Amino acid sequence: MIGARILTAGLIFSLCLGFRDFFESNPVSHVLIQLPLLAWCGALLAQPAINLEAEWNRGGVVALLIALFGITFWMLPRSIDAALFSPAMEVAKFISLPLCVGAPLAIGWARAHPLLRGFLKAQAVSMLGVMAFLYTHAPVRICNAYLVDDQLRLGYAFLFTAIAVVVLWVAPLFVGSREFHQMRSRSVEAG
Amino acid sequence: MTDRACEPQPGAVKFTMLLAGIVLLLMMVFGLIMRAAQGNLIELDPTLFYQIMTAHGAGMVGTAGLTGAAILWFFVGRYVPLLPGVYYAFLGLFLFGVILILGGIFIGGYGGGWTFLFPLPAMSGGAWDAGAAASFMVGYTAIGVGFLLYYLEVGRKLIVAYGGIGGALAWPLAFGGGRQEDAPPPTVVAAMATTIFNTIGIVVGAAVLVCSLVNLLAPGFAVDALLAKNMIYFFGHVFINASIYMAVIAVYEIIPQYTGREWKTTRVFAIAWSAVLLFVMAVYPHHLLQDTVMPGWALVMGQVISYLSGIPLLAVTAFSLLVYLRGSKVRWDLASALLVLGVAGWSVGSIPAIIDAMISVNKLMHNTQWVPGHFHIYLILGEVAMSFGFMAWLVKEARKTAMTGLDRAAFAVYLLGGAGFTIMFLVSGALSVPRRWAVHAPEWYLQDRVATGFAMLVILGTLFFVATYARGLMRRRAD
Repeated sequence: MIGARILTAGLIFSLCLGFRDFFESNPVSHVLIQLPLLAWCGALLAQPAINLEAEWNRGGVVALLIALFGITFWMLPRSIDAALFSPAMEVAKFISLPLCVGAPLAIGWARAHPLLRGFLKAQAVSMLGVMAFLYTHAPVRICNAYLVDDQLRLGYAFLFTAIAVVVLWVAPLFVGSREFHQMRSRSVEAG
Repeated sequence: MTDRACEPQPGAVKFTMLLAGIVLLLMMVFGLIMRAAQGNLIELDPTLFYQIMTAHGAGMVGTAGLTGAAILWFFVGRYVPLLPGVYYAFLGLFLFGVILILGGIFIGGYGGGWTFLFPLPAMSGGAWDAGAAASFMVGYTAIGVGFLLYYLEVGRKLIVAYGGIGGALAWPLAFGGGRQEDAPPPTVVAAMATTIFNTIGIVVGAAVLVCSLVNLLAPGFAVDALLAKNMIYFFGHVFINASIYMAVIAVYEIIPQYTGREWKTTRVFAIAWSAVLLFVMAVYPHHLLQDTVMPGWALVMGQVISYLSGIPLLAVTAFSLLVYLRGSKVRWDLASALLVLGVAGWSVGSIPAIIDAMISVNKLMHNTQWVPGHFHIYLILGEVAMSFGFMAWLVKEARKTAMTGLDRAAFAVYLLGGAGFTIMFLVSGALSVPRRWAVHAPEWYLQDRVATGFAMLVILGTLFFVATYARGLMRRRAD
């Protein structure tokens, strides 16, 4: 199982690296496909560590904070620009997204209180919405590497991602958990 | 999950209600000052008038939301265990937001109305600077974050305990073959529906607040004015309605103690709340009937759903209340009287609202005092009356007698004041007196002055209710 995860992470990482030019030619695939895929690599590699109890990471707060700071850094248009023009920043992107975003997110998420998870989901949707507004309404070109039309497309992609994420997270809430229905069935059978 | 847990944070809820009572009193005094100024009974600088109007609007809507939230939290805690820290975080964020809002208004001079309609906050003509408007809007955002946290906790607990949103809304009973005895209690159905639509409303409100803030600080980021107006009125409409829908939970929980008959979740009740869930969100275009650039279908939807939206809940709640009261030997006291008044006021207030939601009427009436007439009925005789009823019930045991002569007098004064005050708004509206004007023509003074007298009666009644509540709290503490 661990081997399969390492293999999958390696494949995804190779995909991001091998098709680097393809992903980075367009801000939508760069920001909304390549960056999440790199973070996913880290999350896959961190799976064996998610059940480890550690005092320093009670409630997953520390790990989640690391991940949030990592995400904040890579949300800045300046960081995206720098990754395209500076080889050092490109290397930093390939290292930091798995290690400073994906892995801590997986480790922190597993230990986070359900309320904190809900809050972070709400925050993620809000930030996608804010990014959509900023990219579609900016009076100037935000990234030197991409055109204004690209930036507009990225803005709409943020909006559609926000909608998709809402549907994905809210739809399961309409039906209860499996445990609830099993419990209900047992109580009905018991009369 | 029908085992009753104890009410969560009774102390915090009681403190919230005391705070809310005092703020309501203060906001009513603001209202009195405005009506007296319009009637030329006192001198009031128009700049200060608009600041007071902004504080009055934001304060009343916010306090209505706060009291509704306290009621919902208190009674939902009987069915699911709620995290105390969330309520304290909600209250803390709320108070932090209030400080920012009041600072923005009375220190910064913001007077753009509680609706912060784009682009007014950024275009004050020198009346206030961007910092004042930003403080006001950041205050709103802080309150919004507090509410989102609050609903996250309520929603998550109801979803887990009742088998998802559908289960908590009693959909198996409403649309399937579910049995009535398996359905969640009315409080849970109401809390789930309110959680859903008010969360959506607040998210939309937060989005337009963030966009407006960005525009305020970096004017190059222009916002589509029509889209912003739609988002603001969607948020505003949903939020103020949610405050009433949350407060009505007090009726579902407290009235059965007087009638001795449990308020049940019937099939009609469940369907009504599901209809409300949709109607309360779809009806908001009735606030934009004068925006001719709106799509025609949206305006028609606003009018048609306005006709429909009164039916499901008002008819079900008001009708059920009458049925429960009929034949029951109710021992009337301040709490039960105010709660029943709340439902009656809510029902009556919907009539001028529906009239104003007709496109042909709205063309003439929208910018007149008809509109404050309808929403003051909803609030003074509806939501606020329910909140005062809840407060009276909280300290019921500390009082020796069920209903004293003074209670009767205070109730009558409040009812007379509230009815008279709101009728004067409606009369003024029918006479085409404009709303939101600091200075009135001498021909309108009579209505303004009569309304000022009625406002004094409302304040007198409120003073008694809040003082009785405070005295009851102290007596309980002493016991």
